[in-house]
Amino acid sequence: MARIILQKNVNLETVKKQTVKTGFISNRDILKKRSKKYLDLIAGLDAKTLTDTKGMDDLIKAIQEEFGTAELADLPLGIVAKCFLGHPYEVHTLDLSRSQIVKHYKVNEAMEADFEKARTVAMHNAYALVEVYKDKIILIREDGTAIKL
Amino acid sequence: MEQQSNYNMSRQAVSYVELNSSLELINSALESISSDIGGIYSELEAIDLKQDQLESELTKLADAFAAFVEADSKHKTLQLAEIRIGNLRQELQVKFGYYGEVRRMAVGILQGVDTGVVSNDTLKCITEEVMIKAPGYWLAPVLVALAAWMRNDKSITEKALNEALKRDDYKTTLFFMLVMRRLARNEASMKWLERYFIHQDPKSLDREFVVVLEAVATGIFLPAARQLMMRNVKSWLNQLTQSDVLINNQKFRWVKFFEELKPLSSDVNDKYPLLKKFSPNWKDLKKSLEEAKKHDAINSYFKDIISSSPADFSKNVKVQLDEILSSLVINFDDEELPLQEQIRFNQLVIQMDGDKTAAQAKMDAEKSIFEKKVDFLELLNNACFNPELLGATRAIKALAVSISQPWIIEAYDTFTAQARSRIPRAVELEIDGFDTYTRDGSDENELLESQEAFYQDVLETELNKLSFPYVGVIIGALICLLGFWAFNLHIIAGIVGLGIGGVLTLNTVNNYNRAKKQIVENVEERKQKAKEVLRGCIAEVVDYRKEHSMEDSNAEKVRQLLISITPEDFSSVSKETARQIHITK
Repeated sequence: MARIILQKNVNLETVKKQTVKTGFISNRDILKKRSKKYLDLIAGLDAKTLTDTKGMDDLIKAIQEEFGTAELADLPLGIVAKCFLGHPYEVHTLDLSRSQIVKHYKVNEAMEADFEKARTVAMHNAYALVEVYKDKIILIREDGTAIKL
Repeated sequence: MEQQSNYNMSRQAVSYVELNSSLELINSALESISSDIGGIYSELEAIDLKQDQLESELTKLADAFAAFVEADSKHKTLQLAEIRIGNLRQELQVKFGYYGEVRRMAVGILQGVDTGVVSNDTLKCITEEVMIKAPGYWLAPVLVALAAWMRNDKSITEKALNEALKRDDYKTTLFFMLVMRRLARNEASMKWLERYFIHQDPKSLDREFVVVLEAVATGIFLPAARQLMMRNVKSWLNQLTQSDVLINNQKFRWVKFFEELKPLSSDVNDKYPLLKKFSPNWKDLKKSLEEAKKHDAINSYFKDIISSSPADFSKNVKVQLDEILSSLVINFDDEELPLQEQIRFNQLVIQMDGDKTAAQAKMDAEKSIFEKKVDFLELLNNACFNPELLGATRAIKALAVSISQPWIIEAYDTFTAQARSRIPRAVELEIDGFDTYTRDGSDENELLESQEAFYQDVLETELNKLSFPYVGVIIGALICLLGFWAFNLHIIAGIVGLGIGGVLTLNTVNNYNRAKKQIVENVEERKQKAKEVLRGCIAEVVDYRKEHSMEDSNAEKVRQLLISITPEDFSSVSKETARQIHITK
């Protein structure tokens, strides 16, 4: 009630939050914009040859950079994106949990249960890729904005 | 010996007679007993009846008694409440009586200041008297400061001001902010506004904050006040959006709002009659299309808010600011709160005729409406949806929407993503028993082919049902044979036999062929009709997908619109001044 503000000039700026350089800390951070490098790499999954080990390494490194020092439980299980190889191929997945394999799926070919629920949205043109987590999926648009579902 | 037997016999006879009479006696006794018992039974019945009556009377009495007790207790509570109110009011008068006087004085002084009629000396005397009479009340030194300020007495003004701030910083700040504004002392009111903002805790804001916000926004204070407000708002937003919880609540509200919005035109049923009839998953298709149409409605909604002219609501807001001022001055202060609450409760009890529970319920409801403190995000959301309930006008809608823009976009993205995840990938079709599906109607040829194949199968099964009439042919053949054999007997008989046999056979075969033809024709007709329907359905599927993606693309438009909204656009009456304000992010 009787609070005294005796200072004449009060600094209205709040102390800036100490941002950790890499990695997701809170739930809000996971909705941060993704970097262009990351998006380009995922878009290049069609063009890249799978046996190109350097290409795979780059990919893994970029992903690590993007998610940084986040704990294992916060990393995505995999990434689903629309496949532009042409008919009959529809979507492809990058499985991060096990063996980092890129797999292309045809129309009517079912994916693993976790990834299947991301299929419809991944096919939509508005979303560049979909990150599949244990308990949620995050849709990434072409400009990097992230949407949680 | 004879005598003995005679004696025995007579004894027997006697005993026989005795027995008889005894039996008769017993009989009559039994009869009388039985009639007595009968009488007892009927009496018992009567008693039973009486008992039932008694019971019902007793229950009635018990009910009446309970009702009486209740009414009596209500009555007593009522009386008690009235007595209590009297006592409490007296207590209030004794303890805080002078507060009322000071308040009246405050109103009077303000009026005097407005009209300029009262002399400075009188003001000086009165306000000093008030200081003495109402110790501890914040309003007293405020009035002293006001009076001293008006006669340009700096030292007293400062002293009094310090004292007032010591007693109740918040209310003093609010008071002076409003008074200075009223007297058009803009710079001073700016300083007080700064102080007022510092007082606010973004996690729990008063309802009157909205009015202040609106006042700042519509330019009643200085333009510089807007900068101040934006800076504060931005820092609060940063603070509040650190954690998930608060912002998720607001996001959720917006998502719900989008979901419940009705599309502008819903003629989906009429445009796709074939799909409606022949598609088992038509319901999903319809829902998805209607959802996609919502984007357009959302577009118009936000366009409406933004373009609603920043009419000069400032008059309304000025009136409201004055109301806050007078309510500050007139309403009771925190020290009196407990007593005032009790008085209010007793008033409610009297209103409810002594029903304590009802009064308590009403009191709780009143409390929640008026004393609720909300966090800044919820305040903004309330301002977006129901500004009138908060005491603001429509003008603040645009400002609130623009400040909430970040999470409105997030909510919209979530809503769009959800809608898109529900788009049915395949349109199922069921035509005349032929089950199939198509994604977008581009595989028309394959579908037609498989429909052909289906009808081939149908034809086969139908034809198989029709079996060759062996019986008829055999009978005909037998009769022919008979005819041949009849030739031996008689030529004419032979001819007749042959004729009959021949006709029978031919007839049977002809019927069979006709039936076959009929079946083929039927199936052919079915096939043609179904083909037309299939073609029609495919065409509708193509149209559907086209319309759907067109509506879906509206989502991008909405997104662009939302991104383009910035708070700076809506915090001024004239757009000119808005462009001059650059707020560094």
